[in-house]
Amino acid sequence: MNRRQFVSGLGAAGFAMIQPGRMRASAPASRVAIARCKSYGDEFVAAAGKMFDQLGGLGRVVRGKTVTIKINLTGVETARQDYLPQSRTIWTHPRTVGGVIHLLDKAGARRIRVVEGPWIWPASLQEFMLKAGWDPNLVLSAAPRVELINTNMPYKGSKPFTRFSVPHGGHLFPAYDLSSAFAESDVLISMTKIKEHGTAGVTLSIKNLFGITPTTIYGNKVPKDEPAPKPYGGRQEIGHMGSRQPPSSSPSEKNPTTPREGGYRIPRIVADLAAAVPVSLAILDGIETIAGAELPRPGTTEAISPGVLVAGANVVNTDAVAMAVMGFDPMADRGKAPFETCDNTLRLAEELGVGTRDLGQIEVAGEAIEDVVFKFRDHGGPRQWRPPGSRRTA
Amino acid sequence: MQLENAVPLRWPSGPLEIARRGKSEGFDPEIRQTLERWHDPAALEFLNGTAVDCIAISWAAGLPADAEQQRTAGPLIDAARRRNLAVVGWVDGAGDRKAAIAAAKTAGIEAVAIGGAAGSSDLPAIAWCEREDVPWDSTASAVAIGGNVWPGVNMASGGGAASAGPTSVPWLDSNGWYIQMARARLKAPLWLTFDPPGKGEAVLPRSHVKAICDSEAAGGRWVISLDDKLRSGLAAATPAAIEGWKQIAAAAAFFKGHANWKSYRSLGLMGVISDFAGDNFGLTGEILNLMARRDLLFQVIWKSQAMEQTFSGLQALLYADSTMPDPALRRKIADFMEQGGLLLTSPAWGKEGKPAPPDFETQFDVSAVGKGRLAVARKAIDDPYEVAVDTQFLLSHRNDLVKTYNGASSGCTRYTASADGKTALLQCLSYADGGRAGLRTIWVREKYRSARLLTIGGQPAPIDGQPSDEYIGAEYHLPANAPQNYVALEFER
Repeated sequence: MNRRQFVSGLGAAGFAMIQPGRMRASAPASRVAIARCKSYGDEFVAAAGKMFDQLGGLGRVVRGKTVTIKINLTGVETARQDYLPQSRTIWTHPRTVGGVIHLLDKAGARRIRVVEGPWIWPASLQEFMLKAGWDPNLVLSAAPRVELINTNMPYKGSKPFTRFSVPHGGHLFPAYDLSSAFAESDVLISMTKIKEHGTAGVTLSIKNLFGITPTTIYGNKVPKDEPAPKPYGGRQEIGHMGSRQPPSSSPSEKNPTTPREGGYRIPRIVADLAAAVPVSLAILDGIETIAGAELPRPGTTEAISPGVLVAGANVVNTDAVAMAVMGFDPMADRGKAPFETCDNTLRLAEELGVGTRDLGQIEVAGEAIEDVVFKFRDHGGPRQWRPPGSRRTA
Repeated sequence: MQLENAVPLRWPSGPLEIARRGKSEGFDPEIRQTLERWHDPAALEFLNGTAVDCIAISWAAGLPADAEQQRTAGPLIDAARRRNLAVVGWVDGAGDRKAAIAAAKTAGIEAVAIGGAAGSSDLPAIAWCEREDVPWDSTASAVAIGGNVWPGVNMASGGGAASAGPTSVPWLDSNGWYIQMARARLKAPLWLTFDPPGKGEAVLPRSHVKAICDSEAAGGRWVISLDDKLRSGLAAATPAAIEGWKQIAAAAAFFKGHANWKSYRSLGLMGVISDFAGDNFGLTGEILNLMARRDLLFQVIWKSQAMEQTFSGLQALLYADSTMPDPALRRKIADFMEQGGLLLTSPAWGKEGKPAPPDFETQFDVSAVGKGRLAVARKAIDDPYEVAVDTQFLLSHRNDLVKTYNGASSGCTRYTASADGKTALLQCLSYADGGRAGLRTIWVREKYRSARLLTIGGQPAPIDGQPSDEYIGAEYHLPANAPQNYVALEFER
């Protein structure tokens, strides 16, 4: 199986026993696993290993392959929910990254890369981890041949950026220029916390992809004609507000007359990305997280411990199950929680044929949804929906 | 009285101040009345029981009003002396120095603040100057330097949004870097002179407190200068003004009570060498400013003193002066590098060693030399921001000593230790005026035997270090009621 076959949906079969008769016509369904897990470390590794087995086994998918793990290090590295480290509230936890790397190595992955484009970070990802208070060795020493790549910056391989076209033309952009690390990847894993999001309603494995857009191309203050040598700002201007276009060296929006508001734009951008750069495995951490928003906000957000993991081969299927675990309806449309002020990312990705959000079509392994539901809206303070476009996200 | 640890308050009053300010924009009857009231000895009342033990009065400015000022200031000076307040007569550059000093002596003033190196004077002198003409070798009772900024988050004019640096990060105005630079050279105690911003509008007392903290944390002493509204309120003894003054006085008392902190040495791992003259001051000074904002802790090394100073304990040196050091100093710097240090410098140094580029882009060519690294700028160094950023990356956050979480507009952290090394002091500043960013955590790489939290107006309280979840070091969780703008952690090894 080559990468294109894999990422176009067949790869999902490596993890799950797809039931063609139950699939929506253009939106695949694959099995999603749920596990209870109360802590990081050994308990996580055991739970994740069992979930991957329930999804069909890691080895069939990653053996001999280059595996890229997109982690989530959103926001600024100095903002915490209360006294808690970001990895216990808003970021992918380094011990879960290390645990997954360990399992990937055991399953025969040839090369493992951990990638993220932290906000305006211009240096190495390792430096960001050090600044943020992580021990990079929790990740780097989890297996041989582990690399860390800051995807904000031009890739140091054959070419700095590669163009990824969005199937069916895309919602907002027809194509995106991304780090060529993604082009060299055989298997992409999206690994993030289960959270709400002020602009997109929820931030799960699809929304995590917003951070793969390099801020040297999609960041504020980039030049008009070419990528910036290093990031000068976040993704608000081009991403959230649409107040300008990327440099002319990259594709412009399909229709610049569409609404210039984050609740319209961000769900479409991340749905586009999910279609253009398909994810082979979504791993969602609900062991510890926050309710109320995606970033700490005194008076609104609250640290919570749902004690649950959700994983699947299809990002829409997996996010749909995670939404249900959060106490939300993945079929909800704009105006209904958690999409009060935005469009439903899952629906938009579904429209691009990425996967179905219909829980009736998705087989769940492990724990039943109803046994692990943790209603996020029962926690945190009043949601403060900000004016569209005013948020900073990774 | 000894002026070395005095807490001075600028005391504008009387005919001379009225004459000086009378033609300035915003001068109004209220200000005039306040200047008159402050010339009355009764105005000293609000200083009772405070740490302020020195008033700096206007004495001469080369104006016709000088004589009347000196004639009418007698009761104020006498009243100040009865209250054990030292009086410093401020002599503007245009004033007749000899006549002013003679008159000050006659009036019983303790000291005069006069321009330049102060020279010979029958009275103790404060050498008063701007940043451009500091008499570095002055043996005056203190050197008072002007040309400073009002500490805070720099707000863009008109828009109300915090003005941004190249990366949209709010810009902090601080004098801390300059104070550290100046104190590394001055023999005399350093006073800072600067006034509240604005033309007549009220300045929040906490802004004055920030100005005190910014100066004191770096080892300087601000000649406290109150805004017109607060002076007016104090003259009228309004409750709001008195309450505001108490906050300011509490900050002054706090630092006066910790005078020994001024002798502590920086624990920064980054040494910055320069002669700080001419263009080198402009460039390297701004690099220091930007390093301080990024909490890249540094030690200032004046080139003229570098041969006598040890580089032990440093991990990196920056030498950005346009002219290369003399052979002996170059050899000393090269030895530091070859023994494992990092040297960042300009192209004039020349390239050596084997290329050893980092895995991210910088404006330096990095090579391995001996056990250390040499980073030579590819072109003449002209962007202080890029130098500060690249220096921090090349030194690596692996070497961070301190991190602050949820510090609103924090920066310019000072991390110092006593001469015997038994006590370390971490002073954390926040320049925000607004609400809280949340509960704050201070991470410190070194694990100490014990720690105390010190706050202005509060009792020192033991605070336990928590093991860091994912990294080395210890975290200190500040209580929710810890003041936002300044806290100190005092550690015992």
